[in-house]
Amino acid sequence: MADPGLWETLTEHLELARTLRRLEISLDPERCKGTWQCYEVCPVGCWTPDRTHRVVVLHDIDQCIACGACVLQCPEAAIELR
Amino acid sequence: MATVFMKWLESDPSDYDRGISLLTLGRLHRVQEAIAQRFVLPGLRVLEIGCGTGTLAVMMARKGAHVTGVDASSAMLSQATRVVNNEQLADRIDLIHMDASLIEERFNPASFDLVVSTLVFSELPPDEQDFVLQACARLLAPGGAILLADEFVPNGWLQRVWYNMVRVPLVFVTWLLTRTTTVPLRRPEELFRRGGYQSERLLTFLGGSLALYRLLPAAEMPGTDTLPPTAVGHLSHKPSLRTRLSDVWALFFRIIPPYPKVRPGLYAVGQPNRGSPVLVTGNFDLTVRRVVGAIDGAVDAWILVADSAGINVWCAAGGGFFTAEKVIAAVRSSHLDEVVDHHALILPQLCANGVDGWRIRKEIGWGVHWGPAKAVDIPAYLSAKRKKTDAMRWVGFPLKDRMEMVTVTLGFYGLLILVPVLIFWRSLFWPITFSLLGLSYFYGLVLPWLPGRDGLAKSVPLALIALGGLFVYTRAFDPMTALGMFNWVLGLTGLSVFSAAELQGMSPKMRGEQANWGWEALIAAGLGLLYWLGPLALGWR
Repeated sequence: MADPGLWETLTEHLELARTLRRLEISLDPERCKGTWQCYEVCPVGCWTPDRTHRVVVLHDIDQCIACGACVLQCPEAAIELR
Repeated sequence: MATVFMKWLESDPSDYDRGISLLTLGRLHRVQEAIAQRFVLPGLRVLEIGCGTGTLAVMMARKGAHVTGVDASSAMLSQATRVVNNEQLADRIDLIHMDASLIEERFNPASFDLVVSTLVFSELPPDEQDFVLQACARLLAPGGAILLADEFVPNGWLQRVWYNMVRVPLVFVTWLLTRTTTVPLRRPEELFRRGGYQSERLLTFLGGSLALYRLLPAAEMPGTDTLPPTAVGHLSHKPSLRTRLSDVWALFFRIIPPYPKVRPGLYAVGQPNRGSPVLVTGNFDLTVRRVVGAIDGAVDAWILVADSAGINVWCAAGGGFFTAEKVIAAVRSSHLDEVVDHHALILPQLCANGVDGWRIRKEIGWGVHWGPAKAVDIPAYLSAKRKKTDAMRWVGFPLKDRMEMVTVTLGFYGLLILVPVLIFWRSLFWPITFSLLGLSYFYGLVLPWLPGRDGLAKSVPLALIALGGLFVYTRAFDPMTALGMFNWVLGLTGLSVFSAAELQGMSPKMRGEQANWGWEALIAAGLGLLYWLGPLALGWR
């Protein structure tokens, strides 16, 4: 590799790929007030509303594509992606 | 969708500064120096619209001015905050995160002596340019002026030819290096006159393509009653030759700029009234036509087209091009509250990864409702009183979409592979073309049933199937030499990895493996090495 910039860019992207693969959503149930914004915006159906307790349940984490919509729209900042 | 593309678009503030400096060949810095040296006095109250990374704000504060800098990008502002703190000018510079369209609401009338803006107006959609200029007139204290530096398309045709010869390659290189680009303003004098200003050109650089104007409010300020009527167009579902050509372009080359765009603003579909729903969307031509096609004849509605840089809403939101600020700007500059009686916006669900709904609710008090993921469901969603079923919420990747996305991928990357092959390896052009097309479409067909969570993992079974096919073919029809077989194994493996890994970025069901290309490059390098060394080691060459 003659160009150190190229090598750096490549390793940077491999690192990014690793991080992306490992990203996981997590819900802090203490903070959840049941606005269900996450359920409203999730395009792959990770969330299910629990209507009796007015909270949301993270029922299928394997579907998550790490788009970040639920994290951005949660008014209580109860969801994290890391 | 195209998350590869999305990540690639996500340029950071340092990219932006480099890009702008490249595009203006360093002249912007001289314009900024001229502004600070010639027009800024101690104690002057300056509003900088679009302060970016804070370069000009710092120059002006050093001259003793009190600067209020606003910018719609929080990434730019956090960079600016660092610069201001390093320079210890925090007491003379206020930085505020907001869109230019909100300045009139946020600041008191006549509270600034000078409004400064460099390379911002050319980034605003036309309706917002008018809106912001009129707002500035009300913010200026008596005797105040606007200094506006921007890129302009030169007036004379000869200058224009010369300008394009320099600019086109420069724009291309800058885009590749920094994902930054600008669209120069045309006929600025008309824009300034419409806004109610007398303009004077103070400085020009680069043959007139970068210029600094001073704008003074004309004696007769436009009153509220002379505001231009809300720019309302009418949209209907009418396939024509132009729309068909645009569809064909989108099918093959969707990911190559320039993207076909719609002018942002408010549009009517059918015969909407003051109670009709307002559907927000981005300004990618194909997106707007799909929304209009879905509702025309079924519902009367307003469509508010916000500026998403001509990119589909999902990718634009993920790449930071479609934000709450863009939606707020569209609401404000279309005077939407004078058009409808309600305060409810329906946003496409798929922009929720970038458009902060709560920011819209807080900033302008409009309610945000997340509409269906796909435009075809809009009529059903509206007739169910904005209730979504799970089917409207969830995005699948059905066969038709898979085939479309394979074609989109091949349109661009296929060219990238096949054109060099055609030039340098002509004898292999047809075998490689058939293998690439066959593998890609076959992959699209069987994608849901291939084991593996992501494109890279799925490329393993795909390659095994391809190699099995090769084995059967050579056994049945065409026995090959060991070297020929070896080369085919390498080639099919490479193409399998490429087909599988690239489609992943286009799929809404797999994580945006934005960085697959890192692995692809490594695998390509490994296969290349084998191609050279393998036959030597085995004594075939």
